[in-house]
Amino acid sequence: MPAALRGLVPVLIAIAVLAVLQVLVGSSPFFVYLASIVGVNVVLAVSLNIVNGMTGQFSIGHAGFMAVGAYTAGKLSLLIKDLAISGLPGVVSDQVQFVGTLLAGGIAAAVCGFVVGLPSLRLRGDYLAIVTLGFGEIIRVIVQNLDLFGRALGLSGVPQTSSLFAVWFCVFLVTLVARRIVGSTHGRSLWAIREDEVAAEAMGVNTTGYKVRAFVISSFFAGVAGGLFAHFVPIINPGSFTFVKSIEVVVMVVAGGLGSTTGAIVAAVFLTLLPEALRTLFLQVGGLDTGASLAQKVDQIRMPVYGILLVILMLVRPQGLFGTREIWDLLPRWLPGTRRGLR
Amino acid sequence: MSGEVLLQTVRAGIEFGGLRALHGFDLEIRRGDLKGLIGPNGAGKTTAFNLLTGVYVPTHGEIRVCGERVNGRQPHQINHLGVARTFQNIRLFRALTALDNVRVACLSDERPVFTRARIDELRRRSSGKSPVAEAMDALNNYVDWWRALLLTPGFQKEEAELTRRAEELLEVMGLSHRRDERARNLPYGEQRRLEIARALGTRPKVLLLDEPAAGMNTREKGDLMVLIRQLRDQFSLGLLVIEHDMKLVMGICEEITVLDHGVTIARGAPERVRQDPKVIEAYLGDSYLASHGLPVPPHAPTSETPVT
Repeated sequence: MPAALRGLVPVLIAIAVLAVLQVLVGSSPFFVYLASIVGVNVVLAVSLNIVNGMTGQFSIGHAGFMAVGAYTAGKLSLLIKDLAISGLPGVVSDQVQFVGTLLAGGIAAAVCGFVVGLPSLRLRGDYLAIVTLGFGEIIRVIVQNLDLFGRALGLSGVPQTSSLFAVWFCVFLVTLVARRIVGSTHGRSLWAIREDEVAAEAMGVNTTGYKVRAFVISSFFAGVAGGLFAHFVPIINPGSFTFVKSIEVVVMVVAGGLGSTTGAIVAAVFLTLLPEALRTLFLQVGGLDTGASLAQKVDQIRMPVYGILLVILMLVRPQGLFGTREIWDLLPRWLPGTRRGLR
Repeated sequence: MSGEVLLQTVRAGIEFGGLRALHGFDLEIRRGDLKGLIGPNGAGKTTAFNLLTGVYVPTHGEIRVCGERVNGRQPHQINHLGVARTFQNIRLFRALTALDNVRVACLSDERPVFTRARIDELRRRSSGKSPVAEAMDALNNYVDWWRALLLTPGFQKEEAELTRRAEELLEVMGLSHRRDERARNLPYGEQRRLEIARALGTRPKVLLLDEPAAGMNTREKGDLMVLIRQLRDQFSLGLLVIEHDMKLVMGICEEITVLDHGVTIARGAPERVRQDPKVIEAYLGDSYLASHGLPVPPHAPTSETPVT
């Protein structure tokens, strides 16, 4: 196979697999909705892992970047929804517009990431955490007070052009980007910064530059995740992008193991589905026939249970599910495709 | 005198608040030099290294790399000009493999759009403040990231080349068998050698070694002495070594500078420095001198540096 095509092979495989999935299960609304929520969380977790895991910086404002992407893409879609690209069938035109708004959301978030990151990443330590925390809150307060973005009511009527394929193709893209970064000079430089910033700088790594670039890439994908989110939920409001959402993503990254891309994916899927699974479980245990009030009470217990499970995970595996390793590093050595991880 | 001047300080100094950590420090490293920097604890040796590599910005004087003034440049820029170092308390990238530790330092010389030489030339002419050079550098980086994300053939070739270079350096330092071992799992002596391999990865002209023999046993120290000389010849480096082990530093260095309380108290060939009463006093105290019948130097060292 020519070397030039090697980089494209995974993309083609992903498109084929996702297209088949779309045809098989793309018409079951509940499944698609749940899979989309999971997918958005995976994109958030994997992108945050580039900053918090690989580069060792601590950002806790990911929901802010997601909000920038969601509102930019959502508003743009609302503005252009009556337009159609001439010469294209309606569906295709919608999809092209959808991709365009996703990109716009991602770029808007990336620009915010650059503006926020450039001053705060020059410094070492916890400054980034403080600044990103502030940024997330500022964005939320701004959209809450702008008529343009519907204030506390949020934006409704954004065309629901998202699909299982779109969401999970973005999941695939962010994963591919994260893995390609890890396997390159750039990824090694990020790891070096995480391990020892002074030594990295002394070995010729432009630490500020690398930190900002990692942060911008991470922000871009948070924006894309927001854009996807805006196109499958009926309404986007500031309540979806609170500090709690940011912490949720941080928890996914930490639970998966700081620096492990597959860990972030597994943790994001697991932690998103866990409350849902607990709900079903409790409903079965409580039984609907014993009265709705019991079912309701049981439903309320699931959040503490979620918390307790997290505490147990941190007690048993403080380094997270996979530590800094990837899922295939933990497979037995004789399995085909198993290789020593990069690090 | 040997090759061209690679690293030069002119009366460089730094103050932290009221503390003069280093004062009136003069030094010249030429290609092929092997010089030593010694002094009691807290004399300012590591501070001198930090000044030379840009970790601290000197408050007085000037530092030049290959004739270019580098005061205020960032450490990675100074490194690109050809100054590499090791650290007193080993600072490897502990979770990375030995190979990756070296590969981090092996930055590719090939840049996708504008050559590094061209950007460096622009920077030199504007003493590091050219917006055009920064823009060119930014574009280079941008394209470089895309090459990595798209896994272009050129990028793959470059990665292979970097890996080959890193393996070569591991081989030189006798660490080939540790290639895939994480740095934190290596024994102490090998960690020190890996730090040197990593520093060599940046293609330095001057190499600064901060206590390379600390924690090594006698045999390892012997090997290290041979190795340091060999490195100088093989890579035609200028070397500056901080070392507490007098046998090692007297054995390999052609010239030794002695610091005490941030001031250069002696400089010269090892035998001369060894007998300098000021040096003996700094290390052992004046009562030692008196009891051994050696001349006691005048007290309150002046800021004038008696360079021999």
